[in-house]
Amino acid sequence: MLEVRHLKKSFGGLTVLKDVSLRVNQGDVTAIIGPSGSGKTTFLRCLNLLEKADEGELVFDGQTYDLGHVSRRDIAAIRMRTGFVFQNFNLFSNKTALQNVTEGLIIARKMKKDEANAVAMQALGQVGLSDRAAYYPSQLSGGQQQRVAIARAMATKPDIVYFDEPTSALDPELIGEVLAVMRDLAASGMTMLVVTHEMRFARDVSNHVVFMEGGVIAEEGSSREFFANPREERTRAFLRSISEENR
Amino acid sequence: MSERLWRILVDSFPKILLPGLKMTVPLTVIAFSLAMVIATVVALIQFAHVKVLTQIARFYIWVIRGTPLLVQLFVVYYGLPKVGVVMDAFPAAVLVFSINEGAYCAETMRGALESVPVGQIEAGYCAGLNFVQVMRRIVLPQALRTAFPPLSNSLISMVKDTSLAANITVTEMFMATQRVVARTYEPLALYLEVALIYLIFSTVLTWVQRMGEKKLSAYGVKEARHA
Ligand SMILES: Nc1ncnc2c1ncn2[C@@H]1O[C@H](COP(=O)(O)OP(=O)(O)O)[C@@H](O)[C@H]1O
Ligand SMILES: [Mg+2]
Repeated sequence: MLEVRHLKKSFGGLTVLKDVSLRVNQGDVTAIIGPSGSGKTTFLRCLNLLEKADEGELVFDGQTYDLGHVSRRDIAAIRMRTGFVFQNFNLFSNKTALQNVTEGLIIARKMKKDEANAVAMQALGQVGLSDRAAYYPSQLSGGQQQRVAIARAMATKPDIVYFDEPTSALDPELIGEVLAVMRDLAASGMTMLVVTHEMRFARDVSNHVVFMEGGVIAEEGSSREFFANPREERTRAFLRSISEENR
Repeated sequence: MSERLWRILVDSFPKILLPGLKMTVPLTVIAFSLAMVIATVVALIQFAHVKVLTQIARFYIWVIRGTPLLVQLFVVYYGLPKVGVVMDAFPAAVLVFSINEGAYCAETMRGALESVPVGQIEAGYCAGLNFVQVMRRIVLPQALRTAFPPLSNSLISMVKDTSLAANITVTEMFMATQRVVARTYEPLALYLEVALIYLIFSTVLTWVQRMGEKKLSAYGVKEARHA
């Protein structure tokens, strides 16, 4: 349902993505892991055009887009069918939790206000925040803000949701509630592409794991395979360093 | 205080206040409203990096902020007639004050626009909003809130600066006072009187500013951005 081919991206003289290709099937939960600076964020950002790739192809819902030359209309069309969850939540601080969710429905998708409110309340219910609908972001904890952000991303019924280290900015005691929501979302069949440092999530929730290093996919496989028998030495080194970190 | 002086003060009060209400207030209100329009447009041009227009906007701000307001008033009112552009004093003052204030407020607005986190703009795009929608729904509301206190300060300064319009024959409060002084030779008492009236105007505006800020803080934002 989504395929990226030969994605390349550099910033000035720095090549960040060197020919990355990836396939995602309907309902897949794909975890992207890898050291900091390996290009994971840039990869996700290129996929919904927050960053313009130098070259590459995106096959998405039967359409093929040239990521190096995408029209404004194609960008809008792609974004209408994707969701994005940021590391720093990025909730609209002038809007309540409910309005954060309805914004994309009412303004971008021209849904009636009543209907949008109902959809948004249901989404907030799914992330366990029905009682916080009228709160502003500044009145919510980091974990709650990220759950609102997840509700905002999924309320539009996207074909795929991208997550960029959704728990990295959270205090340790708040990580669990966000991972639980993501686990529910995965169980509901949502297609997800998740950059994460949470190895338990990658192992238990995702069905496919991608290891990125230095702007390339160094290794990928089913998550059971990947963690049981990592083929590459650098994958093993990375997994060792992560497990030491978490000890 | 002598009875004569008291009578002069009482008699002159309406003579000073009336031009205040008829000239100073309209000049301030009209010029500041126009300045807000100019400032918003100029700030948005820079924020959106519109190519040639950004250069023009920078040039405008550079020239206006780099030259005295009084000189600008003289150029327009006494200078431009030499090239055939003749204006009455009041419209000339409105023009100069709005262009001058617009340049300063444009910088305030640009700073406020840039203070909105880029991540929220990107989140807006990801939600499917286009540039105009992101500006209108996310960026401008937050920027206006940030800019409100400094813009209020600009407005209060402007009320006082309109006294400079006396130099191009606009009969606002200060010129009215000068006229009474010329007749009565009581400069200390009368200039203090007009100072008091300016003080009342400023105090009222400060009070309005406070109410406005209180209303705006209803967003529930706890951190004081202008602490
Ligand atoms: N906007 C940018 N301008 C210049 N360099 C960037 C930009 N964004 C990312 N980079 C660089 O690209 C590399 C990969 O960054 P990133 O994709 O954020 O990696 P990761 O998410 O895996 O930590 C880093 O070296 C980073 O400094
Ligand atoms: Mg990153």
